[in-house]
Amino acid sequence: MSNFVLADFGSYIVNLGSQLGHGIISWQFLQFLVAFLTAFGFVMTSAVILILMERKVMAWMQDRVGPVHTGPWGLLQTVADVGKLLLKEDIHVRAGDKSLFLLAPSVFMAPVIGSFAVLAFSPYIQLPGGALATGLIFYVAMGSIDVVGLIMSGWGSNNKYSLIGGLRGTAQMISYELPLVLSFVGVIMLTSILAGEPGFPHYGTGAANGVGTISVYEIMLFQNAAWHHTGIGVLDFLFQGFTPWSWFFLFQPLMLVIYYVCGLAETNRAPFDLPEAESELVAGYATEYSGMRWALFYLGEYGNMTIVSAITAYLFLGGFSGPGVSFLVGQNSLLWGFVGNIMALVYFVLKIYLLCVVFVWIRSTLPRLRADQLMQFCWLILMPITLGNILVTGLLYLVIVQFVHAPIWVFLVVLACVGWASVFGFVWLISRVTTASNRRAQAPAIRAQLRARSATTPALRDGVPSRVALPAGTHE
Amino acid sequence: MATNQDTDIRSTSNTAEGLRSEEMLLNMGPQHPSTHGVLRLILTLEGETITSCTPVIGYLHRGIEKILENRPVMGGIRYMDNSDYLSPMLNETAYVGAVEQLMGLEVPRRAQYIRLLTNELQRIASHLVGIGTYGMDLGAFTPILWAFRDREGILELFEALGGSRFNVNYMRVGGVLHDFPKGWLSECSTFLDRFEKNMIEMDQLLSGNEIFTSRTQGVGYIDPQQALAYGLTGPMLRGSGVNWDLRVNRPYMAYREIPVNVQVRQEGDCYARYMVRMMEITESIRLCREAIDKLPGGAISTRTPIALRPPRGETYFALESSKGELGVYFISDGSEYPWRAKLRGPSFVNLQIVPELMRGHKMSDAIAILGSTDIVLGEVDR
Repeated sequence: MSNFVLADFGSYIVNLGSQLGHGIISWQFLQFLVAFLTAFGFVMTSAVILILMERKVMAWMQDRVGPVHTGPWGLLQTVADVGKLLLKEDIHVRAGDKSLFLLAPSVFMAPVIGSFAVLAFSPYIQLPGGALATGLIFYVAMGSIDVVGLIMSGWGSNNKYSLIGGLRGTAQMISYELPLVLSFVGVIMLTSILAGEPGFPHYGTGAANGVGTISVYEIMLFQNAAWHHTGIGVLDFLFQGFTPWSWFFLFQPLMLVIYYVCGLAETNRAPFDLPEAESELVAGYATEYSGMRWALFYLGEYGNMTIVSAITAYLFLGGFSGPGVSFLVGQNSLLWGFVGNIMALVYFVLKIYLLCVVFVWIRSTLPRLRADQLMQFCWLILMPITLGNILVTGLLYLVIVQFVHAPIWVFLVVLACVGWASVFGFVWLISRVTTASNRRAQAPAIRAQLRARSATTPALRDGVPSRVALPAGTHE
Repeated sequence: MATNQDTDIRSTSNTAEGLRSEEMLLNMGPQHPSTHGVLRLILTLEGETITSCTPVIGYLHRGIEKILENRPVMGGIRYMDNSDYLSPMLNETAYVGAVEQLMGLEVPRRAQYIRLLTNELQRIASHLVGIGTYGMDLGAFTPILWAFRDREGILELFEALGGSRFNVNYMRVGGVLHDFPKGWLSECSTFLDRFEKNMIEMDQLLSGNEIFTSRTQGVGYIDPQQALAYGLTGPMLRGSGVNWDLRVNRPYMAYREIPVNVQVRQEGDCYARYMVRMMEITESIRLCREAIDKLPGGAISTRTPIALRPPRGETYFALESSKGELGVYFISDGSEYPWRAKLRGPSFVNLQIVPELMRGHKMSDAIAILGSTDIVLGEVDR
């Protein structure tokens, strides 16, 4: 009896071992390894590079040079910064919730890294999460977990002012998630519309026939599918899988702008950096942190910047597509596939960093919004506009395609015109609303002046009334 | 609000719903990132609203007026630089102007024009700091660096002229220390041309920005009668619609020959005061150009002895500084040491309205209001 069990168990182990060996020494595992190293390495080093980039770019905009002493052209500045932070004393708060305090930076940083699971860096370098059919929802969920990290740090610091700062930041982040998600809906509607067209993904493929997608990778495929194989070498090389005329930023530009603005608010960057800059009056949520814990908050902010830029690139700017990528990868040769993947990586990283430069640009230009103005902007302006966009997109499709039976490209052209007109309308609306609210704020002053002017003006000598009024509140 | 029915007498207030809320004391200590100097504000908050504000000053008191009593007049000029450390030239002019007024001394015309030129350049420099730091208080990181870059131009001019960037010690009783170095006037003209273009850039960046206007318009309204009652002067007063500028209403030195267009705004809020300062910079550029064009020849100083003994008597001389009416009340007992030199610091007087302004505003507006007063603690504490 025992011999029988032992033999069975032994063969089970050997079987397991050989299956594991086959699994590890396989292209799939290599792909996972490469993708994991790329993603993780990219996140960590891009945070480091972005810190330096921000200091340099902000300095150039302010007519200075930025760090120049550490390394050639100051390139080793962040390395020096991180080294210093690692060597700093780790100060804990004595009272207060120790576990919350210690865990908060990790809870803040981890979802940022986790969000990269749904991004594909190139046709080959995809983490298994890239196959997730609901990748966009995963990203939004990760963004919501960030909020928990904020609350934990505010509460665990045992500091009245940190708590207020943390709660304000939480309110801001939660509020701005709504327009952020709603701005995706327009893009998803577009994929659904395009899925019914020949040549696009999900056309005539059984269960997914004519259905859109919320997978980040597939949204990118939808944007780059508008090219039919022509046989002309050069054109095929350039435009196979790279069709900038069908990127979604042309059809939903207002959603790009709104998503980007909500991304600014999610990452607590100027002009929405009230939780950080509350330190003018009230301590921010990260006050009691020192050394590497604070560095995790800091790196988490830049990681958040990266992920927002990456999702923007994926949803509106075609992801990692660029001239030559699809053509080379489709050659089925190891060398050209490798070159194609490298090119895709370069295009992707370029798009992300360009969007991050815009983050820095905005930070160095705009002053800070007040807390109530911030909330008003979200709830009274961004929410109605995103909802209206969903309505308008649907209505246009209904009217143009279903009722008038015009071809799809007519719908797309009309949508693009409406979209770009609405961008300018958005800017005009903001300036009108600001003027109106400012005039309302100045109303007491204007009323007081009218009252003063309508009263008899005392005789003036050199512009000064000859009888000066007594201080306010005095009864004459 | 305790009535005689309340048995619980605490610092609490009863709201309409019968809820009890306590007031919170917040200390904006002598050290805080808003770069206005060592000012301490004790704020009492009810939720988000400020119910009272008590400024505590004196952290920068150095006894300047006492020091002046122990120095001969020429030796004391340099201590005036430290009073309003952002406009030394204007401070020095006030001091020597008071002594000259006591002596009945008329300064040569060339010296008057040189004083006007340096005073207006100093006014530009001071306003640049005020505007730049105001932008930074509200979160705009770029205007302060552009403002300081342009201020560097002015400070380089002062260094070439008087030997030092900040505390130049350039004014003397009877005139100025020495004449322009060779090429200084053309350098100055080049700087003014370059600076005018940079001002357009900065104006576009800050003045029309919707976020900036939302933060500053309607905030911190000062009634014109209230402004006069508190004795405010300078942009605080002109931002509320009162047309009063000492360069026009009590002209002195070369301002009797070169008229000034006084910049006045009617709204009375923080934005109005900010705009008054911006427009005053443009006006000062124009005055500088006019002074360079009309610069007369002649002596730059009436020689006065080093150990100057002003006649017995007292006089008050005030000029329009960048912050407001900067006055020196000079009492002399006939010796070379002043008996008393009292400074009327405009920032000290302008600070008095801040508690009144802050009441009822939210915490975020407190920074905007404090920045719009553009106080310099050196002048408040002396």
